[in-house]
Amino acid sequence: MRSRLLAFLLILLFGLPFGLLGLLAVGEGWRFPAALPPVYSLNVFRSLLAADNDLLAGLGRSLLLAGTVAVAATAGGFVLARAIARSRRAARLEAASYLPYALPPVLLAVLIQPFIIRLHLSGSVGGVLLGLLLVALPFATLLLGSFWSGQTTEYEHLARTLGCTPRQALRQVLLPLAWPRLRTALVQTFLLSWFDFGLTNVLSVGKVRTLTVQVFTYVGEANAPLAAVASLLLVLPPAVLLLVNKSALLRKP
Amino acid sequence: MSSKARPFRLPSPLLGLYGLLVAGLPLAGLAYALLGSVGLAGPLAAGFTGRYWQALGADSGLPYAALFSGWVALASLGISTGLALLLVLRAQPTLRRWPLPGLLYVPLLLPALVVGFYLFQFLSRAGWLARISFRLGLISRLEAFPELVQDGAGIGIILAHVLLTFPFLTLLFLAIYRESRLDDYRQLTLTLGANAGQFRRRVAVPVLLRRAAPTLLLSFIATLGAYDIPLLLGRPYPQMLSVYIATRLQRFDLRELPAAYLAGFLVAVGLLGLISVLLRLTRRVRVE
Repeated sequence: MRSRLLAFLLILLFGLPFGLLGLLAVGEGWRFPAALPPVYSLNVFRSLLAADNDLLAGLGRSLLLAGTVAVAATAGGFVLARAIARSRRAARLEAASYLPYALPPVLLAVLIQPFIIRLHLSGSVGGVLLGLLLVALPFATLLLGSFWSGQTTEYEHLARTLGCTPRQALRQVLLPLAWPRLRTALVQTFLLSWFDFGLTNVLSVGKVRTLTVQVFTYVGEANAPLAAVASLLLVLPPAVLLLVNKSALLRKP
Repeated sequence: MSSKARPFRLPSPLLGLYGLLVAGLPLAGLAYALLGSVGLAGPLAAGFTGRYWQALGADSGLPYAALFSGWVALASLGISTGLALLLVLRAQPTLRRWPLPGLLYVPLLLPALVVGFYLFQFLSRAGWLARISFRLGLISRLEAFPELVQDGAGIGIILAHVLLTFPFLTLLFLAIYRESRLDDYRQLTLTLGANAGQFRRRVAVPVLLRRAAPTLLLSFIATLGAYDIPLLLGRPYPQMLSVYIATRLQRFDLRELPAAYLAGFLVAVGLLGLISVLLRLTRRVRVE
């Protein structure tokens, strides 16, 4: 009985956000003190299909930005983690990798903003991309660092001894061995960028309207239905990733 | 050496470039903030001055933001840790039963901004809980509902962080419980005459907290620097640190910039100090 009650409470606790966001998205003219919306409508969802829909554009922008960050940070992190593992200054470089990842994203954005302005990247996708990579690249590098152990080097040497070219060793030995970690790095750096609001908002000066920036704008305009739809769209990709690979969401560098 | 025999290796200038990006840019930002705080950098730089540092003693904004952030981080982490320990040590069989193992991952899908928006819609005075209370006759007017968001004590902010953190900590404690074979220790302590409460207090809790210490400290630091949730659920005063700094930097009055740079510099240095403690702690836990 007690365990059923606990399960019910936890289901209620974690299910309620989706229920309320769903009601806000489909409810029309829902004002205090009504406990439920007087009218339900799918208009907001229908408008998503319109070609000039701002939310859909925001979704595309966020997907493109997060996807680019994930691929660039994971590929870069893989190569850099190996170089750091073999460097004489490995400990120093590893410690340096914690620096941007350790600061809150909005504080990091505030600190680097003068340089982003001097590079003429303020308010541009390029500036936001650079800011996000500054956090995601060291994160991926630290996450993939433990892959480059002595055993991996031995596998690589063995492949080379057996006649593999460096490219063959990379494609047929190292990448398949590293795939579980690469997948985790891809997922986590994607989410890092997907969830970000503070850094994007500061560096883009509100001009790069990703989904999180749109949620904030709609909240500011007291447009709860659109904020709810944008919130539900924000939850979609992580939900797909959760279904594909749960463990990739949890691993920390 | 022929190109065929040359191993796949990164040219060292790229490693230098990486160091320049990840350490150089933030450190340059810190230096710029420091110079800005003494009047040597920034749009209104007019030569060295110590007046912004001297004014720090008279301005209660930054210490108050630091205290408020500390309170929110401590309360959020304390409640989350307590809840997670309670679930792992008192209700583990339930947690292993469908659908709970999957359900605990659900908050990991939620961006902080969405949680902030959801709690605002749920807990504000015109929110869903207030409407339900009104319908049930628990309150007779809007003002009778307690202030749970944008309140002075940061209750809304704390609840939002607890909602995001405690499921993650529960998953973490469950993993540590299994890895540390605490079930075996439980059997052993019971055989030696201890009761279940003694096992929980003297064996399980110390092991779980010790092994999770780096993650707990990381969660504390992350909450200390939180921005999205306090921006939606917080008040203009008191503000949490990130909101305080970002708000001051985005004001139209450029004369505010040096003081904002000073606040950014001090907070960044403080957080980096905490991170160095975290790194030392992580190394010690790894060695043990």
